[in-house]
Amino acid sequence: MSRESLLEVRDLKTYFYTEDGVIPSVDGVSFTIKKGETVAVVGESGSGKSVTSLSIMGLLDTAGKIESGTILFEGSEVTTLSKKERRKLRGNEMAMIFQEPLTSLNPLFTVGNQISEAIRIHQKVNKKEAKKRSIEILKKVGIARAEKVFHSYPHLLSGGMRQRVMIAIALSCNPKLLIADEPTTALDVTIQAQILHLMKELIKDKQTSILFITHDLGVVAEMADQVIVMYAGQVVEYTDVFTLFKEAAHPYTTSLLASTPKIHEQTETLQVIEGTVPNPNDMPSGCRFHTRCPNVMEKCMNNEPVLTNIHAHHQVKCWLYEEEV
Amino acid sequence: MPISITFRYRGTIVGKYIIRRLLQIIPVLFIISFIVFCLVYVAGDPVALMLPEDASQEDILQLRESLGLNEPFYIQYFNYMVGLIQLDFGESFRYNTSALPIVLERLQATIELAVAAMIVAIIIAIPLGIWSATKKNSAIDVVATGGAVIWKAMPNFWLGIMLILIFSVMLGWFPVSGRGTWSHLILPAITLGTGIAAEMTRFIRSSMLEIMNQDYVRTARSKGLKEFFVIHKHAFRNALIPVVTITALQTSTVVGGTLITESVFSWPGLGQLLIQAVNTRDMAIVQASVFIIAFIVIAMNLLADILYKLLDPRITFR
Repeated sequence: MSRESLLEVRDLKTYFYTEDGVIPSVDGVSFTIKKGETVAVVGESGSGKSVTSLSIMGLLDTAGKIESGTILFEGSEVTTLSKKERRKLRGNEMAMIFQEPLTSLNPLFTVGNQISEAIRIHQKVNKKEAKKRSIEILKKVGIARAEKVFHSYPHLLSGGMRQRVMIAIALSCNPKLLIADEPTTALDVTIQAQILHLMKELIKDKQTSILFITHDLGVVAEMADQVIVMYAGQVVEYTDVFTLFKEAAHPYTTSLLASTPKIHEQTETLQVIEGTVPNPNDMPSGCRFHTRCPNVMEKCMNNEPVLTNIHAHHQVKCWLYEEEV
Repeated sequence: MPISITFRYRGTIVGKYIIRRLLQIIPVLFIISFIVFCLVYVAGDPVALMLPEDASQEDILQLRESLGLNEPFYIQYFNYMVGLIQLDFGESFRYNTSALPIVLERLQATIELAVAAMIVAIIIAIPLGIWSATKKNSAIDVVATGGAVIWKAMPNFWLGIMLILIFSVMLGWFPVSGRGTWSHLILPAITLGTGIAAEMTRFIRSSMLEIMNQDYVRTARSKGLKEFFVIHKHAFRNALIPVVTITALQTSTVVGGTLITESVFSWPGLGQLLIQAVNTRDMAIVQASVFIIAFIVIAMNLLADILYKLLDPRITFR
């Protein structure tokens, strides 16, 4: 695997400045996405997955700020770009699909208007050409009566259809990077499978890279090449998808895997991870997972472990593996 | 059939909807006419004010008889309704002519003032509301929001008098009162319009603040759209829906404001006519004016409903 890297995130720190103080939502996250590769980011709500993706897109709201770190897109830094240069990347080179298809489309504009808008921002084409391309892409995302849907308002479409439209908007300018923030969470299982299948199909021969954010390990297994497990704003494990499911190392990852119900095992109770993700205002000292960790040791409480390679392409942030280095 | 009835918008027939809504107005107008009649009936005897103080008892009785004021309540109401159906509100005691044409003539002046005031309000409120919402908690926002509260608290008649004092009496830029040229319109339009703008700015601001957090605004940004279009195309059109509704529903407040503003500036509109008519117990004028004002308020509500449906495709004409 010596593919060229498309996106490199190095030690990204994104803080939110709120009335209750500074909240470190993302705290030192690093990873690389190669061309044509799908990287999944897994974690509970509040682990900083979405904030990471919004930082890459430059879509943080006014309270959020990239404190330090670098985001290299095709080798050039994007965090220091002007607003205008950033806008040129957005929707064109990198595009995003959101979690809520029901609210992510503007209710007052037709589907066609919203797709052709994306095309016309970045490509110098006239209205007629934009319409033609919009209908083409609607057909590509598996919408049968594309011409009719083009003139429809979003409220007339089902959730699955709307997510297809969102994918159409995101892919309308052939982006190199597609960020999908839990794109199937709001959909039922059959539609979810269709959408995942569609995404795989659409990027197959285009070398589009995907940053796939999810909390669903089933989706990870389906989609990802590489997996990043995030906990409380930090990366705790980073490896390829096969290693993750075979030899997950971090106690958080193993607990996550253990808490997934399996179809061939009959159990009375589901396994859970006790407790909740710590409040970002009040992070535990030492390892941030020590309050919930089944393997907690003395030194976990006060000393923070570092992300270390336990094998080639397998990084873990845990004291259990410190000796192996 | 006229074109308007079969006019389709987003696949629905608008004309039919409007006709049905207009028919629904009729019973409302009947109820209003009854209330207006009762108010005038209990308001007292107009004859005392119509005759000189030294008029004989005989003259008074004779006048009462000729005006039909000696008839029982239901007969008077019946006569009034017979007239009303023919849009005849009776003769004005003061002008000695049919009341409705006088009212309609004055209505033109009032509409002129109201439209000018709305233009002033919109010119001020839309940019200010959007601006203070997108720059929340900035100096502009604090000044705009604080200013809106203070302006709202300022009574129309006081503001009007202050404007006359400064711009007409001291600076001599505008005439003190009356109607005629553009310069006559400016001060009353500002008096009435800024009051409406104060309220509207706050509506637009809070509506915009809510909309700016919506997912589709983020989607618009994620396409690489310029912030100007994100705000003015995607956010503002959504924010406009509640604003249009509230503004149209506030017509009655605007009418109330017009009455006061017209008195301050001696603007020869419906408000001034109505106040004079009440003072002189010119009942035909009072009835016609109140009836017309009620009709305008109902019509504005209907207009709000139609605009609401035109702005929001999720709501259909049914």
